[in-house]
Amino acid sequence: MASMPSTIHSPLILGDKNPSDVTNDICASVERGPSLSWWVAISISSSMLLLGLISVAYQIMTGIGTWGLNNTVGWAFDITNFVFWVGIGHAGTLISAVLFLFRQKWRTSVNRAAEAMTIIAVMCAGIFPLIHMGRPWLAHWMAPYPNTRGPLWINFRSPLVWDFFAISTYFTISFVFWYVGMIPDLATLRDRLKAGWRKTTAGFLSLGWNGSFRTWLHYETVYLLLAGLATPLVLSVHTIVSWDFATSVIPGWHTTLLPPYFVAGAIFSGMSMVLTLMLIARKTMRLEDYITEQHVGAMCKMLIATGGMVAMAYLTEFVTALYSNSPYEQFAFMNRAFGPFSWAYWIMVGCNILSPQILWFKRARSNMLVVFVVTIFINIGMWFERFVIIVTSLHRDYLPSNWTGYSPTWIEIATLVGSFGLFLTLFLMFCRFIPVIAMAEVKGVLSHGRKNQ
Amino acid sequence: MPRQYEQLNLPDRTLAIFKWLAVIGGASFVLGLVFAPQRAWSSFLLVNIGMLGMGLGAALFIAFQYICGAHWAVAIRRVPEAMCAILPWAAAGVLLSLLAGKSLYPWIAKPPHGMKGIILDYTFVIGRAVVFLGLWLWLIRTIVARSRLQDRTADPALSARNKRSSAGFVVLFGLTFWMATFDWVMSLEPEWFSTMYGVYHFSGLFLGALALITLLVIWLQYEGPLRDVLTHEHLHDLGKMLFGFSAFWVYIWFSEYMLIWYANFAEETGHFIRRQTGAWAPLFVANMCVTWLLPFFILLPKPVKRSPRMLVKVCCLILVGRWLDLYILIYPSTVGFESVTFGIWELGMAIGAPGLFMLVFVRRFRSAAPVPVADPMLEASLHHHQ
Repeated sequence: MASMPSTIHSPLILGDKNPSDVTNDICASVERGPSLSWWVAISISSSMLLLGLISVAYQIMTGIGTWGLNNTVGWAFDITNFVFWVGIGHAGTLISAVLFLFRQKWRTSVNRAAEAMTIIAVMCAGIFPLIHMGRPWLAHWMAPYPNTRGPLWINFRSPLVWDFFAISTYFTISFVFWYVGMIPDLATLRDRLKAGWRKTTAGFLSLGWNGSFRTWLHYETVYLLLAGLATPLVLSVHTIVSWDFATSVIPGWHTTLLPPYFVAGAIFSGMSMVLTLMLIARKTMRLEDYITEQHVGAMCKMLIATGGMVAMAYLTEFVTALYSNSPYEQFAFMNRAFGPFSWAYWIMVGCNILSPQILWFKRARSNMLVVFVVTIFINIGMWFERFVIIVTSLHRDYLPSNWTGYSPTWIEIATLVGSFGLFLTLFLMFCRFIPVIAMAEVKGVLSHGRKNQ
Repeated sequence: MPRQYEQLNLPDRTLAIFKWLAVIGGASFVLGLVFAPQRAWSSFLLVNIGMLGMGLGAALFIAFQYICGAHWAVAIRRVPEAMCAILPWAAAGVLLSLLAGKSLYPWIAKPPHGMKGIILDYTFVIGRAVVFLGLWLWLIRTIVARSRLQDRTADPALSARNKRSSAGFVVLFGLTFWMATFDWVMSLEPEWFSTMYGVYHFSGLFLGALALITLLVIWLQYEGPLRDVLTHEHLHDLGKMLFGFSAFWVYIWFSEYMLIWYANFAEETGHFIRRQTGAWAPLFVANMCVTWLLPFFILLPKPVKRSPRMLVKVCCLILVGRWLDLYILIYPSTVGFESVTFGIWELGMAIGAPGLFMLVFVRRFRSAAPVPVADPMLEASLHHHQ
């Protein structure tokens, strides 16, 4: 702040853009057709997706005995992936809804992509419980409705059922929020595209947007209301995911801190994934003027804050386990840090607690390569966090004769790769067909025309 | 900026009221020590934890503003700054409770075995308390002193330095505060533990401090110093924060309660059973109503968040909830859960603490300009709009 005596905030968008530049720049990536690098990227990602599809087909036909689970470790890779992907989704809603309520204008450059990422990540997450059911064609049994099976109702007391409601609600609201926010931009596309199926589609989806004052008024009211709805939802989703574990009586799972700890971790992991994607996008799609060092810096600060909360949770859990004087609690945490899976624990600590600390330095935050490497570390670390919580709490239970290990089969690994394939493929499609930056919102934060302020 | 800000001028009568309240508080503590020592110490711990929370919450408010580079609250920053003046008093009170109110903590007379014995080693606990309180007070003092120094030097670099110290304070707070709540309050029931405990205290502390900040800025606007400074826009933001943190409090409350209820462990449920059965049940429900249910629904409409008259009522409600929350946390452990104990000792200290707080607050507030006159973001804050 000290360096800017006359204005308190430096401009968000660089290059002295006017509204027309914004439209041209952002629409360019949609209009100019795919580049070679895009084709290369989507070839790789769709191959990964294909591998995933094959392995999913195989495990559904054969049964989930193809996984490395055993009597003691009944949850492992699949639930780790589920929690990981749900967590990734959280940053999108945080940026688009929570930061909107906080009037954080820098969000405008990243909210569209972050929200697309949310929706795609929730889709990826949904795969795992669906397969885990064993008979995914009976998935509709999760829905509570009077049925001819008795009637047999779902167990409303089970957090797994709450999770089903939480995730499906979250997906619906996120999708609607994303779509509503996109309407003005779809109208821009409609007006620019040459006649053809894409123009017709954009026209259909923009719901007759005419840009009048009344239309904007309705739009902004709906947007605010949806942001208000999405904010408690995003907190509730990972809270309920944490309840899947915390309502149990397993040492290491049953801890009251889990809800806010999971929410902070989810935002941490999601913010890191947004940064990973946006750093690639700004480079390849030439968006450096829109996603500036200021945006990256703000997201890095979010990483420090949420990473700090996660670190505090690790510490609290550990000390409380010692304080409890409960041999089971103490064993669970000692086993995490020094047992057979200690390598996973220390990967988690190294990636999630140590690696983001470099972001305290402004020089590190403005070096895109450093930030990129840190976000990759965090992505890995947050996957391992879930693995540590799930597998190490289970593999040595109350009966030492039950103690086992766990290692994933290639089917499980292929499914994880496949989920990344789905994630990247859909994200690439998004970059290709939809304006990656919310043009209408960015126009509202330009310094254009505010020279005298 | 040639603008002049009116200093706070209070009639002697108002100050006399504060003094008398403080005297009543002190007297009820001293007399209580003679007639009902356990209740006197419990109440003493309660008000000191509460006052410490107000000071820490105010410091966190300042720190968050600096870290986020937020301009809106700069014009009212002198209020949380002056609230920090209570911290040395409250810190001394907490230390005194640990050193002299030994009957509160069962583990002092009967040290636990195992790891708990090491963590709750008396010397270790006292040492930690001194270190925690010392570090908090030192950092907060530094931040407030720099803000005041800026009034004279108008050096924008002081803002940058305060930003760094604020980040340091928040990290320090995160690392230490939960442990402090374990030591000072959770260990009143040494067999019980909950990892959420520190977060729960934080949620209440910040909500309480926000309510007090809101009350004080409205009062100072009425009295003069913040007239033409505080606008509906500032109140709207404070109202939104009150709304948000009230919801956050209930989120933390519910998460802790529901998980313990659901898992139904014998070693965990006792804490809540003692507080939700018999005579405590109505208070248990009342706490929920005054801290969350009523504020939540009252604060929902936009005009309420911009209305000083309504905000004053909601804030009073929340502050009553603050006292009640700590009362429910402390009393069943130290005085007994069979019946609700409330009498002149509790009442005396509950009204004495605000008296002392106001005396300290007014003195500190008057010792500097009523707004940070040279803060680079003051103009933006004065013209803040949603």
